[in-house]
Amino acid sequence: MSKNPDIQPMRIRRKRLNGYQWYVFVMLTIGAVFMLFPFVWMILSAFKTKADVYAYPPRWIPSSWQWQNFTKVFEMIPFWRYYFNSIVTSVIETVLQIVISIFAAYSITKLRYPGKKLFLAFMRSSLFVPMVVTMIPMYLLVASLGWLDTYAGIIFPQVTTAFTTLLLMSYFDSIPKDLVDSAKLDGCGYFRVLTRVVVPNAKGAISTATLFSFLGNWKSYTWPLIVTTKTEYRTLPIGLKYLMQESSSEYQVMMAASLMAILPVLIIFIFCEKQLVRSITLTGMKS
Amino acid sequence: MKHMKKVIAFLLVALLLLPGCVSQYANKVDKEPTPAPAQQTETKTETKAEEKPAAAAPTEAPAREKQTLQVWYAVSGTSGDKFVAMSKAFDEGNDLVDLELSYSGGSADTATKVSAALLTNTQPDVALMYAGPLYTGGRNDYTMGELVKRAEFDVDDIFPGMLDYCTYMGQGICAVPFGISTQVMYYNKTLLENAGVDMTNPPKTWQEFYTLCEDLLTKLGGEGKDFTAFDVSDAPWLFKSMLKQNGCEIVVQDENGKIKPVYNNEAALEVTDFWYSLVTSGIMAAGEHDNAENRFLSGNCAFIAATSNRISRWKGATEFELGAIEMPYFKEQSLALGGNVMVILTDDPQKVEAAWEYVSYLTTAENNAQFALATGYLPIRKSELTNPDIQKALSENALYSIAFKQLDYTFAYTHFEQMGTMDSLIRNMLNKLEKNRGTSQDLLDKAVKDLQSEIDEG
Repeated sequence: MSKNPDIQPMRIRRKRLNGYQWYVFVMLTIGAVFMLFPFVWMILSAFKTKADVYAYPPRWIPSSWQWQNFTKVFEMIPFWRYYFNSIVTSVIETVLQIVISIFAAYSITKLRYPGKKLFLAFMRSSLFVPMVVTMIPMYLLVASLGWLDTYAGIIFPQVTTAFTTLLLMSYFDSIPKDLVDSAKLDGCGYFRVLTRVVVPNAKGAISTATLFSFLGNWKSYTWPLIVTTKTEYRTLPIGLKYLMQESSSEYQVMMAASLMAILPVLIIFIFCEKQLVRSITLTGMKS
Repeated sequence: MKHMKKVIAFLLVALLLLPGCVSQYANKVDKEPTPAPAQQTETKTETKAEEKPAAAAPTEAPAREKQTLQVWYAVSGTSGDKFVAMSKAFDEGNDLVDLELSYSGGSADTATKVSAALLTNTQPDVALMYAGPLYTGGRNDYTMGELVKRAEFDVDDIFPGMLDYCTYMGQGICAVPFGISTQVMYYNKTLLENAGVDMTNPPKTWQEFYTLCEDLLTKLGGEGKDFTAFDVSDAPWLFKSMLKQNGCEIVVQDENGKIKPVYNNEAALEVTDFWYSLVTSGIMAAGEHDNAENRFLSGNCAFIAATSNRISRWKGATEFELGAIEMPYFKEQSLALGGNVMVILTDDPQKVEAAWEYVSYLTTAENNAQFALATGYLPIRKSELTNPDIQKALSENALYSIAFKQLDYTFAYTHFEQMGTMDSLIRNMLNKLEKNRGTSQDLLDKAVKDLQSEIDEG
């Protein structure tokens, strides 16, 4: 039998991994417990009685399962309306953010045009400007456009973000220039290079950016609060804040509301997970 | 694996929908126009209003046009519910005024929202908010100062300290108190009784309080026990009260009316040293004020200085019996006022009249007494103390009696633009002090100097 030179190093590597496996598993288990603890606590607290929440020493398992904590949320705030508004604004904002960021990242990494460096510096510097500084000028702009108490007023000021563009740029940079050049030789224009070569090769990064973007939009509180006064346009974080403030002794109700509020994020994560893990794996392999 | 993900996603969606399906309310929301949080809670509070109706709303219809008032309010929970119920009662009893209520977030959110709205002339007509005089007197609008002079309002009936709380730079009244509070010293009665601590003669001065806390630490504290005798949730608020108790002013106005912070003299130094001794002796945890209420509610802290409106929030929320004593003092009893005020922000004369009618309604002795009893905020009128419901509450609930008794020695300093910065500087100063990052005098001097710079810069 001839020895296969590729198999031997793999066996050695597997042997080494086996030797280290229990360390890895113990560490990962400890990490997982730490990460899961707040979620488990939140889920259990959502079903507790008020007395259970404040019991000392802490009671892990509810003395009786209080489903009415969830219905109480619906009694205290128009939860469905807020939910609907949050989904509408977050989804539209995320889609617009990702589309704009893809175009911006592509133009900066793959195209040549005058003023590119200046534009990049300008975009990067915008990361250092806190939202509170831009809030009043932005409000003036939105008010002058007549967008107060509208979805447009909530969505459009939040669609441009340097973060997702920079995130995508770092990945687009790693796509070989030769790949782009060969696509051009095959007759692809700028747009087809983007849609046929760059985007399919950057699914992992786009998934990551989508997740971050959606999460940021989903929990956005101050801006929607500032530009809306009518319930018809208010989002879930405003409702949650209403529950938190002054009713802070009702932890069980807050936990029930929080549990329902994170479900869309979990669903998005489940669908993005494969690409997300892949992008992390590929990032590691590059080095 | 692929199918497993779909199953998990499906289950999550189902979990999301389940509570809504079982809730009758969810169906109602789908069919009816969606109400605001305020309106939503009205259904619930209406019942309460029926049980104990507020004073009749004005019903006479003067010859004027119907006005719709935009009202923003920065209170939620029990206080928000009661405020909305009272507003609703006014709205229903008044054909010429319609109210559109909108919850505007916490005090900082509301301040940002009102500031932005004033710049674009989209401000509400009326707001219930913290630091309201900055948005009326700060714009040289003293309309409310004139309105309170009307005979039917009876401004002399309002506690003088509360009127001070409604002034801007000492130039006159530009708001009406509503939802005012002081700090109350709550304690865990069960814990103290079990420790054999007699509270029939509670400590009067801070020194007596210190001795009691040391005794408690000996009995309940010790190695490995997460126990502190005392904490405070809003440290700057208590510190300002302590300064005044020790004869130290917080800010003064010079001959040009300019604000000058003065809390770095000998009297302030004594207070600061006492504060530090609370930490070094283990009576109070260093830099744990944000967590103070949770520690108290879980039984890890015996005493807490917290706002009087916790009387309503903590009622029935604790597994132990809740007690309260009058706030200890240094040389004289004194407590800083806090809380919200009502401001009229519209310029339209007809709307101003309608808004004043609304504000007057909320602040009648009878209505405000009901608000105070429901929320733990303080009565604003002297005559409220003779109200039968207040008298009954005073006799039945020691917590109310303590909170209301403290009204005799409350104070307020005039509003000025940098008062939020002042609180922030005091908070930082106390945090550094508790963590031993400077001497008392140096930290006080820096807090005063930084505030003075802010004031000078305008």
